[in-house]
Amino acid sequence: MSQPDELPRRSFLQTVALATVALVGSGALIRPDRLLAFSPVQGPEDPDTPNEAVAKIYRERFGGRPITRGHVQLDMPAVAEDGRIVPVIIESDLPMTSERYVKGIHLIVDHNPDAHLAGFYLTPAIGRVSVTTRIKMKRTTWVRAIVETSTGELWADYTKVLVTLNGCG
Amino acid sequence: MGTNVGDARIRVPDRIGRGEMITVNSIISHPMDTGFFRTKEGDPIPAYFITEVVVTYAGEQVARFEWTSGISRDPVVSFSLRADREGPLTMTWKDNKGAVYSQSVDIAFAAA
Repeated sequence: MSQPDELPRRSFLQTVALATVALVGSGALIRPDRLLAFSPVQGPEDPDTPNEAVAKIYRERFGGRPITRGHVQLDMPAVAEDGRIVPVIIESDLPMTSERYVKGIHLIVDHNPDAHLAGFYLTPAIGRVSVTTRIKMKRTTWVRAIVETSTGELWADYTKVLVTLNGCG
Repeated sequence: MGTNVGDARIRVPDRIGRGEMITVNSIISHPMDTGFFRTKEGDPIPAYFITEVVVTYAGEQVARFEWTSGISRDPVVSFSLRADREGPLTMTWKDNKGAVYSQSVDIAFAAA
Protein backbone atom coordinates (compact mmCIF):
# COMPACT_ATOMS: atom_id res chain seq x y z
CA MET A 1 0.00 0.00 0.00
CA SER A 2 2.99 2.27 0.35
CA GLN A 3 3.50 2.53 -3.38
CA PRO A 4 0.68 5.02 -4.24
CA ASP A 5 1.88 7.47 -1.50
CA GLU A 6 5.49 7.40 -2.62
CA LEU A 7 5.00 9.12 -5.96
CA PRO A 8 3.17 12.28 -4.85
CA ARG A 9 5.62 12.72 -1.97
CA ARG A 10 8.66 12.54 -4.23
CA SER A 11 7.00 14.86 -6.69
CA PHE A 12 6.37 17.39 -3.88
CA LEU A 13 10.00 17.29 -2.75
CA GLN A 14 11.18 17.86 -6.30
CA THR A 15 8.88 20.85 -6.64
CA VAL A 16 10.25 22.39 -3.44
CA ALA A 17 13.82 21.84 -4.59
CA LEU A 18 13.13 23.45 -7.95
CA ALA A 19 11.38 26.41 -6.35
CA THR A 20 14.38 26.96 -4.05
CA VAL A 21 16.75 26.91 -7.01
CA ALA A 22 14.52 29.39 -8.83
CA LEU A 23 14.43 31.73 -5.81
CA VAL A 24 18.20 31.69 -5.34
CA GLY A 25 18.69 32.08 -9.07
CA SER A 26 16.42 35.10 -9.26
CA GLY A 27 18.40 36.82 -6.52
CA ALA A 28 15.42 37.07 -4.20
CA LEU A 29 17.41 35.62 -1.31
CA ILE A 30 20.47 37.79 -1.89
CA ARG A 31 18.77 41.07 -0.94
CA PRO A 32 16.63 40.27 2.10
CA ASP A 33 16.57 43.99 3.03
CA ARG A 34 14.61 44.69 -0.15
CA LEU A 35 11.92 42.20 0.90
CA LEU A 36 11.31 44.04 4.18
CA ALA A 37 9.73 47.26 3.04
CA PHE A 38 10.00 48.91 6.46
CA SER A 39 13.52 47.81 7.22
CA PRO A 40 15.75 50.80 8.01
CA VAL A 41 18.83 48.72 7.21
CA GLN A 42 20.69 50.04 4.16
CA GLY A 43 21.81 47.58 1.56
CA PRO A 44 25.24 47.66 -0.06
CA GLU A 45 23.79 49.41 -3.13
CA ASP A 46 22.17 52.23 -1.16
CA PRO A 47 24.12 55.48 -0.79
CA ASP A 48 25.03 56.85 2.63
CA THR A 49 22.56 59.19 4.28
CA PRO A 50 23.41 62.64 2.87
CA ASN A 51 26.05 64.46 4.92
CA GLU A 52 25.64 68.17 5.75
CA ALA A 53 27.06 69.36 2.40
CA VAL A 54 24.87 67.01 0.37
CA ALA A 55 21.78 67.81 2.44
CA LYS A 56 22.40 71.52 1.77
CA ILE A 57 22.61 70.85 -2.00
CA TYR A 58 19.38 68.84 -1.83
CA ARG A 59 17.65 71.70 0.01
CA GLU A 60 18.95 74.54 -2.16
CA ARG A 61 18.78 72.88 -5.57
CA PHE A 62 15.80 70.55 -5.20
CA GLY A 63 13.79 72.09 -2.37
CA GLY A 64 13.66 68.77 -0.58
CA ARG A 65 11.62 67.14 -3.39
CA PRO A 66 11.80 63.34 -3.47
CA ILE A 67 14.55 61.77 -5.58
CA THR A 68 13.87 58.35 -7.09
CA ARG A 69 16.49 55.89 -8.19
CA GLY A 70 16.02 54.98 -11.85
CA HIS A 71 16.19 56.24 -15.46
CA VAL A 72 19.81 57.29 -14.86
CA GLN A 73 22.99 55.32 -15.28
CA LEU A 74 26.15 56.53 -13.55
CA ASP A 75 29.22 54.59 -14.65
CA MET A 76 32.50 54.99 -12.78
CA PRO A 77 35.32 52.62 -11.84
CA ALA A 78 34.74 50.78 -8.54
CA VAL A 79 38.38 51.50 -7.66
CA ALA A 80 40.15 54.73 -8.68
CA GLU A 81 43.88 54.39 -8.12
CA ASP A 82 44.52 58.03 -9.04
CA GLY A 83 41.96 60.45 -7.59
CA ARG A 84 43.16 63.18 -9.95
CA ILE A 85 41.58 61.58 -13.01
CA VAL A 86 38.46 59.51 -12.49
CA PRO A 87 36.24 58.89 -15.53
CA VAL A 88 32.50 59.50 -15.29
CA ILE A 89 29.75 58.48 -17.72
CA ILE A 90 26.18 59.65 -17.11
CA GLU A 91 23.34 58.47 -19.31
CA SER A 92 19.57 58.53 -19.10
CA ASP A 93 16.70 57.02 -21.08
CA LEU A 94 14.40 59.94 -20.21
CA PRO A 95 12.89 61.70 -23.25
CA MET A 96 14.37 64.85 -24.78
CA THR A 97 11.31 66.42 -26.38
CA SER A 98 10.12 70.01 -26.06
CA GLU A 99 7.23 68.79 -23.85
CA ARG A 100 9.44 66.88 -21.44
CA TYR A 101 13.22 66.85 -21.28
CA VAL A 102 16.16 66.58 -18.94
CA LYS A 103 17.08 70.13 -18.06
CA GLY A 104 19.91 69.37 -15.65
CA ILE A 105 22.34 66.72 -14.46
CA HIS A 106 23.91 67.29 -11.06
CA LEU A 107 27.11 65.43 -10.22
CA ILE A 108 27.62 65.25 -6.46
CA VAL A 109 30.67 63.76 -4.72
CA ASP A 110 29.83 63.43 -1.02
CA HIS A 111 33.31 63.86 0.49
CA ASN A 112 34.89 66.32 -1.96
CA PRO A 113 35.66 69.92 -0.88
CA ASP A 114 33.06 71.09 -3.45
CA ALA A 115 30.40 68.39 -3.15
CA HIS A 116 28.37 69.81 -6.06
CA LEU A 117 31.14 69.08 -8.53
CA ALA A 118 29.35 69.96 -11.76
CA GLY A 119 26.01 70.78 -13.31
CA PHE A 120 25.23 69.96 -16.95
CA TYR A 121 22.21 71.93 -18.18
CA LEU A 122 20.66 70.63 -21.38
CA THR A 123 17.93 71.52 -23.89
CA PRO A 124 15.83 69.25 -26.17
CA ALA A 125 18.22 70.08 -29.06
CA ILE A 126 20.76 67.79 -27.40
CA GLY A 127 18.49 64.86 -28.26
CA ARG A 128 19.91 62.28 -25.87
CA VAL A 129 21.27 62.34 -22.33
CA SER A 130 24.86 61.14 -22.46
CA VAL A 131 27.66 63.09 -20.80
CA THR A 132 31.19 61.94 -20.06
CA THR A 133 34.03 63.75 -18.28
CA ARG A 134 36.90 63.18 -15.83
CA ILE A 135 36.84 64.34 -12.22
CA LYS A 136 38.98 64.62 -9.11
CA MET A 137 38.15 62.72 -5.94
CA LYS A 138 39.58 63.32 -2.47
CA ARG A 139 38.77 59.96 -0.91
CA THR A 140 36.50 56.94 -0.99
CA THR A 141 32.93 58.17 -1.19
CA TRP A 142 29.52 57.84 -2.75
CA VAL A 143 28.95 59.70 -6.01
CA ARG A 144 25.47 60.83 -7.03
CA ALA A 145 24.13 61.67 -10.50
CA ILE A 146 20.81 63.46 -10.06
CA VAL A 147 18.76 64.31 -13.12
CA GLU A 148 16.05 66.98 -13.10
CA THR A 149 13.38 67.02 -15.80
CA SER A 150 11.56 70.06 -17.19
CA THR A 151 8.46 68.78 -15.39
CA GLY A 152 10.26 68.80 -12.04
CA GLU A 153 10.91 65.09 -11.57
CA LEU A 154 14.17 64.04 -9.93
CA TRP A 155 15.81 60.75 -10.94
CA ALA A 156 19.16 59.42 -9.75
CA ASP A 157 21.83 56.80 -9.78
CA TYR A 158 24.53 56.29 -7.15
CA THR A 159 27.85 54.51 -7.04
CA LYS A 160 30.59 54.11 -4.46
CA VAL A 161 34.16 54.70 -5.64
CA LEU A 162 37.17 53.52 -3.67
CA VAL A 163 39.93 56.14 -4.00
CA THR A 164 43.55 55.24 -3.29
CA LEU A 165 45.34 58.52 -4.10
CA ASN A 166 43.81 61.85 -3.01
CA GLY A 167 43.26 63.96 -6.12
CA CYS A 168 42.08 67.16 -4.44
CA GLY A 169 45.01 68.18 -2.23
CA MET B 1 46.73 69.46 -28.26
CA GLY B 2 48.55 72.70 -27.61
CA THR B 3 50.31 73.54 -24.40
CA ASN B 4 48.94 77.06 -23.90
CA VAL B 5 46.12 77.55 -21.43
CA GLY B 6 42.91 77.79 -23.40
CA ASP B 7 44.00 75.76 -26.42
CA ALA B 8 40.93 73.73 -27.24
CA ARG B 9 39.70 71.18 -29.72
CA ILE B 10 36.24 69.89 -30.58
CA ARG B 11 35.77 66.68 -32.53
CA VAL B 12 32.63 65.55 -34.38
CA PRO B 13 32.26 62.66 -36.86
CA ASP B 14 33.66 63.24 -40.36
CA ARG B 15 30.44 62.34 -42.11
CA ILE B 16 27.17 63.43 -40.54
CA GLY B 17 23.71 62.65 -41.91
CA ARG B 18 20.84 65.11 -41.42
CA GLY B 19 19.07 64.35 -38.14
CA GLU B 20 21.76 61.97 -36.96
CA MET B 21 22.57 61.71 -33.26
CA ILE B 22 26.27 62.49 -32.93
CA THR B 23 28.75 62.57 -30.07
CA VAL B 24 30.71 65.78 -29.57
CA ASN B 25 34.13 65.34 -27.92
CA SER B 26 36.04 68.30 -26.52
CA ILE B 27 39.24 69.03 -24.66
CA ILE B 28 40.76 72.29 -23.42
CA SER B 29 44.17 72.91 -21.94
CA HIS B 30 43.76 74.32 -18.42
CA PRO B 31 45.49 73.62 -15.06
CA MET B 32 42.20 73.45 -13.07
CA ASP B 33 44.06 74.26 -9.84
CA THR B 34 41.96 73.65 -6.75
CA GLY B 35 43.76 76.13 -4.50
CA PHE B 36 44.55 73.36 -2.01
CA PHE B 37 48.02 72.47 -3.32
CA ARG B 38 51.39 74.14 -2.68
CA THR B 39 54.53 74.44 -4.77
CA LYS B 40 57.72 72.56 -3.78
CA GLU B 41 58.80 75.83 -2.10
CA GLY B 42 55.65 75.76 0.02
CA ASP B 43 53.83 78.62 -1.64
CA PRO B 44 50.10 78.08 -2.09
CA ILE B 45 48.93 77.60 -5.69
CA PRO B 46 45.85 79.80 -6.07
CA ALA B 47 42.60 78.38 -7.40
CA TYR B 48 42.52 78.64 -11.19
CA PHE B 49 39.79 76.72 -12.97
CA ILE B 50 37.02 76.83 -15.57
CA THR B 51 33.68 77.80 -14.05
CA GLU B 52 31.35 77.70 -17.04
CA VAL B 53 31.05 76.20 -20.51
CA VAL B 54 28.43 77.38 -23.00
CA VAL B 55 27.55 75.35 -26.11
CA THR B 56 25.79 77.01 -29.04
CA TYR B 57 24.65 75.27 -32.23
CA ALA B 58 23.72 77.33 -35.30
CA GLY B 59 23.35 80.36 -33.07
CA GLU B 60 21.16 78.72 -30.40
CA GLN B 61 22.38 77.86 -26.90
CA VAL B 62 21.87 74.11 -26.51
CA ALA B 63 23.78 73.38 -23.29
CA ARG B 64 25.59 75.03 -20.40
CA PHE B 65 27.93 73.39 -17.92
CA GLU B 66 28.69 74.68 -14.42
CA TRP B 67 32.08 73.45 -13.25
CA THR B 68 34.24 73.58 -10.13
CA SER B 69 37.93 72.77 -9.70
CA GLY B 70 36.77 69.16 -9.20
CA ILE B 71 36.92 68.67 -12.97
CA SER B 72 40.32 67.16 -13.88
CA ARG B 73 43.20 69.13 -15.40
CA ASP B 74 42.84 69.69 -19.17
CA PRO B 75 39.07 69.12 -19.01
CA VAL B 76 37.43 66.74 -21.43
CA VAL B 77 33.70 66.63 -21.89
CA SER B 78 31.59 64.66 -24.36
CA PHE B 79 27.90 64.98 -25.01
CA SER B 80 25.26 64.03 -27.57
CA LEU B 81 23.80 66.37 -30.18
CA ARG B 82 20.97 65.89 -32.65
CA ALA B 83 22.50 67.21 -35.89
CA ASP B 84 19.32 68.52 -37.52
CA ARG B 85 20.71 71.65 -39.17
CA GLU B 86 23.94 72.93 -40.64
CA GLY B 87 25.90 75.59 -38.83
CA PRO B 88 28.72 76.17 -36.38
CA LEU B 89 28.94 74.31 -33.09
CA THR B 90 30.72 76.65 -30.69
CA MET B 91 31.97 76.01 -27.19
CA THR B 92 33.01 78.86 -24.90
CA TRP B 93 34.92 78.18 -21.69
CA LYS B 94 35.20 80.83 -18.94
CA ASP B 95 37.59 80.63 -15.99
CA ASN B 96 37.61 82.18 -12.52
CA LYS B 97 40.20 84.77 -13.61
CA GLY B 98 37.81 86.13 -16.22
CA ALA B 99 39.49 84.61 -19.29
CA VAL B 100 37.21 83.39 -22.09
CA TYR B 101 38.27 80.73 -24.59
CA SER B 102 36.28 79.70 -27.65
CA GLN B 103 36.42 77.01 -30.30
CA SER B 104 34.09 76.06 -33.18
CA VAL B 105 33.51 73.27 -35.66
CA ASP B 106 31.13 73.32 -38.62
CA ILE B 107 28.29 70.84 -38.67
CA ALA B 108 27.74 70.09 -42.38
CA PHE B 109 25.84 67.16 -43.86
CA ALA B 110 27.47 64.60 -46.10
CA ALA B 111 26.17 64.66 -49.68
CA ALA B 112 23.41 62.10 -50.13
